[in-house]
Amino acid sequence: MNPTQMIFILIYLLTILISVTRIVPMSVAALVGALLTAWFGLQYNVFSYEQASGFIDMRLIGLLIGVMIVVEVAQRSGLFRFGALYAIRASKGNPARLFISICVVSAAVSMFLSDTTAMFIMAAATVTITKLLDYDPIPYVLSTAIMVNLSGTSTLIGSEGNMIIGVGTGMSFTDFINYLTICEVILWGLTIFALYMLFKSRLGEKKVLPKYDPWESVENKKLFYRSTLVLVLLIVLFLTLENLGVGPEAVALGCAILALVLSGLDPTEIFKGLDWETVFFIAGFMFVVGGLERTGILNDVSTQLSQLAGGNPLKATMATLWLSGLVSIVVSNIAVALTFIPIITGVSSLNSAAVRSALVLGTNLGGATTPLSGEVCMMTVGTLKREGVSLSFSEFTKAGLTTTMIQLGFASLYLILRFGLGV
Amino acid sequence: MVKKWVEKWLKSRKIKAESEYDEAKREFEMAMGKPSITIKVEIPTGFEDLRVEFLSLEKDERFLEEVKDLVKKRLAPKRPRQS
Repeated sequence: MNPTQMIFILIYLLTILISVTRIVPMSVAALVGALLTAWFGLQYNVFSYEQASGFIDMRLIGLLIGVMIVVEVAQRSGLFRFGALYAIRASKGNPARLFISICVVSAAVSMFLSDTTAMFIMAAATVTITKLLDYDPIPYVLSTAIMVNLSGTSTLIGSEGNMIIGVGTGMSFTDFINYLTICEVILWGLTIFALYMLFKSRLGEKKVLPKYDPWESVENKKLFYRSTLVLVLLIVLFLTLENLGVGPEAVALGCAILALVLSGLDPTEIFKGLDWETVFFIAGFMFVVGGLERTGILNDVSTQLSQLAGGNPLKATMATLWLSGLVSIVVSNIAVALTFIPIITGVSSLNSAAVRSALVLGTNLGGATTPLSGEVCMMTVGTLKREGVSLSFSEFTKAGLTTTMIQLGFASLYLILRFGLGV
Repeated sequence: MVKKWVEKWLKSRKIKAESEYDEAKREFEMAMGKPSITIKVEIPTGFEDLRVEFLSLEKDERFLEEVKDLVKKRLAPKRPRQS
């Protein structure tokens, strides 16, 4: 390893370390990393100015912003709150049904919203109903966090990590569905079952639910219908994308414009509500990885991994799944996805549907293992503390580690069967 | 200085997260639990010298009970009569 490569590795590791410890905002850490990458890269002629301008994939940024606008409009219409209220009412006060309803609706809401926004909504719903029924909020809120993290594995827009992998490796919306839908459905079932078994004795007695009409919570019915229509249109267009001859970012941005026009909402307010922290983190970190790639380090890692796998797709797939899954316990899944893409696309033997699916599963499944695994986990502890309930590190980790290991274990089995590995 | 900056940043993040959570929770409480209203009342003209006393009404339990009684008085006639 030469000194230039060492400088770029140091910048990469420092960016990761600072974004994990959250000493400064993740976006600032990534942007400083990008600045240092640009300075050293141009200084030592690792890349030219023209090459550097291609490090940030604008298709990915377009896809992210487009989806964020459509979802922000839908959120302001009360669509996701309506879903949560409806699911709670459907439980009819039976704690087991309430628990399952909350788990399912948390996962469903998180398929569209970012994990943190989904957690805000679902934690608020869960805390309110458990308080009203005098239930222990820990099983419900903790399960909400685990389901929010799990959900969205099988769709291109399910998480930022998925969008990065989709655009970076060319996995389409239909590829995600074809390869991963069955896996995600079974993972939901397994995770809910495991959480139910863990918390069965703490769910509380059957009680009478307060009477309410979820429809009354929707203030602007016209906005509700229109935003739902745009959201459905977005999914339909993603499914038929191959016939349109355009990329997912074009569909997302087109639907975002439609959402802005049809909603009649103040666009300034919508833009303010977008998760710019994530957008700038992704842009900055993409630049850091772009610089690292130009030094040839990632290509070396890719070649070594390929040699280690010895052309065996089973080994390559399992290594990708478990490595990305375990690293995601500590590091943001966005950073993991951005780092792994040049590695798996660098060598053709690694760039298979099985390895790509393993990366999607790995980056999605590791994020709710300990209270420090990510923003959603920290929010869980913070929300409960705010309600006067203390959730210990070990209690969180017991549930988080159990579900993560079940999920990664099943994902391994699924990948072997789905792609006929080792046969 | 760095420590102060970090503390300030952590505090600002906490406030933003808490306000978003509180807003979401208020909406669910309005839908499922007991709804509440927030009314803005300005100090009446001619009472400007009693600023401190006026502001303390916000936490005056007797005053709040009187407001609740006023709400009941207003709502009672609007209840449909049972035959």
